[in-house]
Amino acid sequence: MEKINIKINGREYKVSSELTILEACQEIGIDIPTLCYLKDLKSEAACSICLVEVKGAKALMRSCVTPVNKGMEVYTNTERVRIARRVNLELLLAGHPKDCLVCDRSDTCELRKISFDLGIREARFPKVSKVELPLDTTSVSIVRDPNKCILCGRCVSVCSSVQSVKAIDFTGRGKNSKITTFFDEGLSNSVCVNCGQCVMVCPTGAITEQNETEGVWKALSCPDKFVITEVAPAVRAAIGEEFGLTAGTLVTSKLVEALRKVGFAKVFDTQFSADLTIMEEGYELISRIKNKGVLPMITSCSPGWIKFAEHFFPGILAHISTCKSPQQMFGAVAKTYYAKKYNIDPRKIVVVSIMPCTAKKFEAKRPEMKSAFNYWKNELKLENKDEFPDVDYVLTTREAARMIREAGINFASLKGEDFDEPLGISTGAAVIFGATGGVMEAALRTAYEVLTGKELEKLDFVSLRGLQGIKTAEIDIEGLKLKVAIASSLSNARKLLEEVESCKSPYAFIEIMTCPGGCLGGGGQPFSLNEETKQKRMEAIYQEDKNKALRKSHQNPAVKALYKDFLKEPLGEKSHYLLHTHYAKRKETPYGTEKA
Amino acid sequence: MYEKTILIKDTDTKREDLTRQAYTQILDFLRHNDQHSRIQVVRVADIGLYDKGLVIKILPEQITYANVKEDDLKRIADAISFNKGRVEDLVYKPKSKQERLVLKNCGRIDPESIDDYIACGGYLGLKQAIELKEDKVIEEIKTSGIRGRGGAGYPTWMKWNFAREVASDQKFVICNADEGDPGAYMDRSILEGDPHAVLEGLIIAAFAVGASKGYFYVRAEYPLAVERINKAIKQAYDCGLLGQNILGSSFGLDLEIRLGAGAFVCGEETALISSIEGKRGTPHPRPPYPSVKGLWGKPTVINNVETLANIPQILLKGGAWFAKIGTATSKGTKVFAVTGKVKNSGLVEIAMGATLREIVMDICGGTLTGKPIKAVQTGGPSGGVIPEHLLDTPVDYENLQKLGSIMGSGGMIVMDDDDCMVDIPKFYLGFCVEESCGKCSPCRIGGFQMLGYLKKITEGAGNINDIAQLKRISYAMQKASLCGLGQTASNPVLSTLKYFEKEYIEHIENKHCPAGKCSHLVTYSVIEEKCKRCGLCFTNCPVSAITGDKEKGYSVIQEKCIKCGKCFEVCKFRAINKK
Amino acid sequence: MVRLTPESLDKISKEPCDKPANWIKVGMSSCGIAAGADEVFNFLSEEVKKRNLNVEVKKCGCQGNCYAEPLVEVSIEGLPSVTYGRVNRDIANKIIEKHVIGKMLVNDCIYNTVD
Repeated sequence: MEKINIKINGREYKVSSELTILEACQEIGIDIPTLCYLKDLKSEAACSICLVEVKGAKALMRSCVTPVNKGMEVYTNTERVRIARRVNLELLLAGHPKDCLVCDRSDTCELRKISFDLGIREARFPKVSKVELPLDTTSVSIVRDPNKCILCGRCVSVCSSVQSVKAIDFTGRGKNSKITTFFDEGLSNSVCVNCGQCVMVCPTGAITEQNETEGVWKALSCPDKFVITEVAPAVRAAIGEEFGLTAGTLVTSKLVEALRKVGFAKVFDTQFSADLTIMEEGYELISRIKNKGVLPMITSCSPGWIKFAEHFFPGILAHISTCKSPQQMFGAVAKTYYAKKYNIDPRKIVVVSIMPCTAKKFEAKRPEMKSAFNYWKNELKLENKDEFPDVDYVLTTREAARMIREAGINFASLKGEDFDEPLGISTGAAVIFGATGGVMEAALRTAYEVLTGKELEKLDFVSLRGLQGIKTAEIDIEGLKLKVAIASSLSNARKLLEEVESCKSPYAFIEIMTCPGGCLGGGGQPFSLNEETKQKRMEAIYQEDKNKALRKSHQNPAVKALYKDFLKEPLGEKSHYLLHTHYAKRKETPYGTEKA
Repeated sequence: MYEKTILIKDTDTKREDLTRQAYTQILDFLRHNDQHSRIQVVRVADIGLYDKGLVIKILPEQITYANVKEDDLKRIADAISFNKGRVEDLVYKPKSKQERLVLKNCGRIDPESIDDYIACGGYLGLKQAIELKEDKVIEEIKTSGIRGRGGAGYPTWMKWNFAREVASDQKFVICNADEGDPGAYMDRSILEGDPHAVLEGLIIAAFAVGASKGYFYVRAEYPLAVERINKAIKQAYDCGLLGQNILGSSFGLDLEIRLGAGAFVCGEETALISSIEGKRGTPHPRPPYPSVKGLWGKPTVINNVETLANIPQILLKGGAWFAKIGTATSKGTKVFAVTGKVKNSGLVEIAMGATLREIVMDICGGTLTGKPIKAVQTGGPSGGVIPEHLLDTPVDYENLQKLGSIMGSGGMIVMDDDDCMVDIPKFYLGFCVEESCGKCSPCRIGGFQMLGYLKKITEGAGNINDIAQLKRISYAMQKASLCGLGQTASNPVLSTLKYFEKEYIEHIENKHCPAGKCSHLVTYSVIEEKCKRCGLCFTNCPVSAITGDKEKGYSVIQEKCIKCGKCFEVCKFRAINKK
Repeated sequence: MVRLTPESLDKISKEPCDKPANWIKVGMSSCGIAAGADEVFNFLSEEVKKRNLNVEVKKCGCQGNCYAEPLVEVSIEGLPSVTYGRVNRDIANKIIEKHVIGKMLVNDCIYNTVD
């Protein structure tokens, strides 16, 4: 990596020759404003905000795509640059709705921030176009408002390059350009997998999640409803950011107390059902290995990944574990085992899950996720019109934070409380579900002991950790060499799946997470385009694992009790009925799961 | 059989046409000299000179006499009858003529016959190129000094050289035939009239840079051009001028046609490449330049049709020959499509350095209406207007840029004082807004905003502050747009503001359009002296804004008038004043 | 069609342009066709055939005087080569009768002479 001399704003610097002007400036502490730029994604340089003046160049250069070269003289803040940048921003503001006060992103909107930072105090250009584009509210996870879209193209980049889904793209030309789904059919009628990565990168309020807080508030104020909540592992490592705490601050106990103060009757932990998932999935893996079942087996807790497989790789559905995700297992268990144990009418139980994920909203509404209803059908003499889902509402980390703020709770000052029992007890293996490689590691901790009958001393499978897109390892289980692979983000998943499809996969077990970095980078997490944030969240998750007394799923006493009193054994009949599911080749209808 | 022919035409438009009279007189003189069976006299419709009085041309000697008076006719008749040579005082020496180099075969050969093309020296340029080898070919192009004729004027040899120097397993050449400027059709005519010249140029380009695959990117709106290129390519394959081992060398080239789909922006290099790759035709940031990293990431040379049509002759006659034509910085000839309020609209090919006045007045005969020229627009939607007092500027890339316009692809629109200098940029800006790809905000939103301001001004709702806003947005568009479309879309506005700001002010402050073009700002009134009181305007007015009767006459109620112009249209006596 | 070699190209270029003695060229680019050149071309071709005249009627590209389309260039031995403009059926007929057969240029229709 050659270092060259360049001048920035009159001063000499030595920078790597492989950088763009933008990156070089960032290194020396100058943050050139950008709107459409995303690190590691090829920039289309559409927003024209990151302009700089380069000596000798006729036009102003786009710093995000212009590489540095020897002897270059860059000026980031001349009058020419400032005028061009400001006029550009005013042009963007001209057509943009002015309802910042009531916008979902009023606090985090990048357009608003840049306008403020650059001192734009007058939007001089009138709104010329009278056309109001309709919102796309077809999806249960994501809402698109094309009127707020500034056509930066980040969502298209992410959906196509990072996720390889390509559900949205540019259409039309000139002032009629817009980003939409195929023939404007709407997200629910497209191959959108609901991962919400587009929401994470959108600089304005053009893409947001479907708001379920209203329904939750209503349930909470209903006296005859028993509203309980389950909290996902990755939420606790990130929600603190919503309250001004630094990234990676573990706020588990504060969160529990806050939720209780919001009004939830019981605050349970999805980590409980994560341990349960490991039991079912671990045994499933062992069974497939022993009985020469379909291998590699692929994890199934990421609903974005599941929809992806159903659309793009329907031929390999048999490889996917039939286990439901922890969210769904929790719902099923809560409305059967828990309801029975504490004598609560399951129809009165409202399960609200708090997830780092937008796809979970879709998962909860999948028609087959009504195991509890089916369980109670005969006993309570229920008819189809009395149907209720296993999980009633799904809130993203951001929505939960909003409810906590609305309830006036001063989050940072809380002392902290513990989860309720029994569905709040969990082990360290469950915590690490929040990071890519976590499910694999948790499963192996259990699989090792079940297969060998010995105690696993080295619990930290470090080779499975880290934010890289694809990780592979060979795990030695007392002579049994298990080849495993872990992918996060769907473009990486695609690579592994193509091998599986062509029967060339060398792995026995594959973990796939839809979002880059795993759930900690999910579509429902607090907004941050800072790479360090994910790193910090990941460190917090592994720290929480270390802090736990019990670190293997099969050690979870509440899970043991569940099996003893109710399920009997992993992969047993009740488990099969309540905790396992099926997948099907998908047609482009709203979550229709027609049998293949 | 006639030995000689006398062609005769009165080119003076301001007086009564004397052609027939002169014809009869000369014929009488010839009869008198008993030469009428030896010398034919013919009245012609156009003699190639304008406003030069009575013009007489003698064939086969090719002598032209101009400003001939009635008294001169006998002398001329006698000179021809008795082989007395020329009547020197009447001989006319044209200043500059068209030099048809690019168009040399257009109108002479059958474009669908490769035999015709070869018979006129076709593909000898390619043979020469193969003999010279790649480096020498690029040397010749460098010596010629030819610059891209698509509008940017980039030195062609440089483009080829960059591509040549990059090591790559595959290189491409592309002929950009996506001519999109409104009113420009030079490329279309070349492709329809002499497709093999372009083909030969492209093959030579491919040879020089080491490309093995090439594309013709033609706009779909040119079906005849597509048909003729298709035929030409097929003929070239049949004759071994495409495919493997061309003319016995180790060089091979495959060509394909790709059609555009109605996007002006796809004439821009990087957008064109995107289009061929099957993606949305939007431009991409440069660097990397297509010569280094173009189609599918490989070195790609994209040249305009007219540029390529020049190449065979440069190879055949040498770069030095080409460099002798034109000016110091702009070599060779340029084909202009002269249209608008001009008498003889059409294609004019002339050496760089000819003045605009020569082109419009001497070759194209001046304005259609006889009214004085107000301005000439060059360069299409990226260009500007050149006002009448600057028409003596020699045409070349630098000069036109200095005046606030550009050479562009060669469109030239002649305007008289019936053309409004606020309406013209509104038209061009409307075109750019329509054709903008929409990727970058300065062009997508800026163009649209500017159009909004211009519409306001032409509808009488303008505000003096609007001019400042137009200039602000223009600045942002020029400096921040991703491609040439956005960068130059504001040129027509800036150029008209530079030379005709008074007209803008007139529109804004007095709500008046001096050219009478902007319908909202035109006042219609009855000219009493001419009014025959027929009542046609009265009955035809859709909003009953005309009042009166057959005795007292008619008048327009200005407050009710919606300026539709119907009364002006129907009045047979030209008694409605439109101003 | 025969595959060309450098030698055969050279040979062809050295041969005199074997043009037919008499020919009529009609401008058949889009500008000409839009003005009605295809009808003129068909008419001239038919007349030549009907009257058994020794004239070749060919298509050619745009000459440049687009304002005067349809343009028809006529070259008959013994007469100067001229281009007629704004040619309609009537003028085309005159071209055949007066120019081709009568060996006299048609009045008021010439737009260009070939130098």
